[in-house]
Amino acid sequence: MLKIFVGFVLFAALAMFVILKGGSSLDMSGEKHGDEAVHAPAEAASVAASDASAAK
Amino acid sequence: MATLDVDRPMSAEEKKVIFASSLGTVFEWYDFYLYGSLAAIIAKQFFSGLDEGSAFIFALLAFAAGFIVRPFGAIFFGRLGDMIGRKYTFLVTILIMGLSTFIVGILPNYASIGVAAPVILICLRLLQGLALGGEYGGAATYVAEHAPHGKRGAYTSWIQTTATLGLFLSLMVILGTRTAIGEAAFAEWGWRVPFIVSIALLAVSVYIRLSMNESPAFQKMKAEGKTSKAPLTESFGQWKNLKIVILALVGLTAGQAVVWYSGQFYALFFLTQALKVDGATANILVAVSLLIGTPFFIVFGSLSDKIGRKPIIMLGCLLAVLTYFPVFEALTKAANPDLYAAQQKNKVVVTADLAECSFQFNPTGTVKFTSSCDIAKQVLASSSVSYENAIGAAGAPATIKIGETEIASYTSKGLPADEAKAKAADFKKAVADALKDAGYPAKADPAKVDQVKITIILTYLVILVTMVYGPIAAMLVEMFPTRIRYTSMSLPYHIGNGWFGGLLPTTAFAIVAQTGNMYNGLWYPIIIAGMTFVIGMLFVKETKDVDIYAHD
Repeated sequence: MLKIFVGFVLFAALAMFVILKGGSSLDMSGEKHGDEAVHAPAEAASVAASDASAAK
Repeated sequence: MATLDVDRPMSAEEKKVIFASSLGTVFEWYDFYLYGSLAAIIAKQFFSGLDEGSAFIFALLAFAAGFIVRPFGAIFFGRLGDMIGRKYTFLVTILIMGLSTFIVGILPNYASIGVAAPVILICLRLLQGLALGGEYGGAATYVAEHAPHGKRGAYTSWIQTTATLGLFLSLMVILGTRTAIGEAAFAEWGWRVPFIVSIALLAVSVYIRLSMNESPAFQKMKAEGKTSKAPLTESFGQWKNLKIVILALVGLTAGQAVVWYSGQFYALFFLTQALKVDGATANILVAVSLLIGTPFFIVFGSLSDKIGRKPIIMLGCLLAVLTYFPVFEALTKAANPDLYAAQQKNKVVVTADLAECSFQFNPTGTVKFTSSCDIAKQVLASSSVSYENAIGAAGAPATIKIGETEIASYTSKGLPADEAKAKAADFKKAVADALKDAGYPAKADPAKVDQVKITIILTYLVILVTMVYGPIAAMLVEMFPTRIRYTSMSLPYHIGNGWFGGLLPTTAFAIVAQTGNMYNGLWYPIIIAGMTFVIGMLFVKETKDVDIYAHD
């Protein structure tokens, strides 16, 4: 159990690092269905998407 | 087979069983969150070239892939699992899921192969949906049938922790890839990496699952020639069992699903969309609460072995019913006190011809609400404004009154796209300006966001999730006999979670827009959880002491 606990703490630390680094560009709201899967709203788009379209 | 020595530690074989089974559900969540995080990019890569009519059909198919097919997968793979065995069935489901995810990663986009790209993508999504329908029931049944009597709650609760693992794993892979190759390259081709990486998860999963033995209960049943020849008929064609399936749905999984969705997703939606907290802060606070809450899956799973599954699940539903309104109101005070003050201080009234107002339930996202009443309510609901409804003259356009300012809404039906867009922008600006004058903040003020209080509230919501979700796998398994267990437990789980839970966001929005109160969306989870509490308390029997092999 101790090993699992230590593993979880390390995992949690890594996860928080990722979330802190990712900021608002990460979308944690889960799978998109229906129209939102086909026409994703602009605000849900990651920074990556907007950057790429700007670059084109 | 089950043993009675509940005090012995978990054996190496049992640990392997739990690990192998949980990997499949990690896949499920990994995939679930990938499609969320990368939705904008996927839409751009696969759907951007479609005309409006085709996009409409694909939207319906995407909706079907997400919601409709999972219960069919539960029936299809459940039947297989009860006929040919748990091991081979959930080997097939993980292969379908893993390979479909991988193929998305190498699938040419719309620019390369035209309409074939979205068609293949949707086919892969449908396949994934089917496989998902069979995966959870297999994992839960397999683990439970390896667990000693008296420890099924503890053992199966490990599967329930995988939602958090899958979420963070997907975020790690996405962010790792973006950081390594840069944003532009990620949007161009790097988004494929997280999908391709899934092949590694698949390889590990298949390797471990191949080395596992069939469930001892199923092996014994097969050796004795007692396996079901027609699991579907036995499960759903005989009232004796069908009534338990229905009870499992309305008395357990429906309530569990809405409490789960409320804690896991609606809270985040409420923070960012209703309370206008910036995305980065909301993500951090939700992530912290998820990490704090995750161990409670094990706590409540283990506790259910001692005090029973039913009291814990029912208490979770009851607490949700009793506390959602005050808890979400407290969330507003903690996250956006200016909004709370503005809501208390200012009266907003929508005056409209009732014939013009729809109940804006739009699960597929394909219906366009174009009347002046619907447009007015949409704008107010998305601005988190609580408003009163007044009846207007027949045929007159709806108006919004904010303080002393009155703004006339408009009908967009029949307007050319450009004109509709311009009118929408003008109307939104007029409403936004009036709201600003009335003290409604456009965003939550970061200096006033009470992060500690929000984290406590979110953690409470996650703990409710762990109460209803931690013991549910064990309870579902114990409700049905071995010969039809896989089929019978999978269907109520996926209808509950896919349909009752999955429809929460869109139903909640429709209620908010209809009634004019941003908290009224909570009536949906409250009513469903309340129904589950009442039916569960009256008709669902405690199962922790059930001998799951008694009828084998």
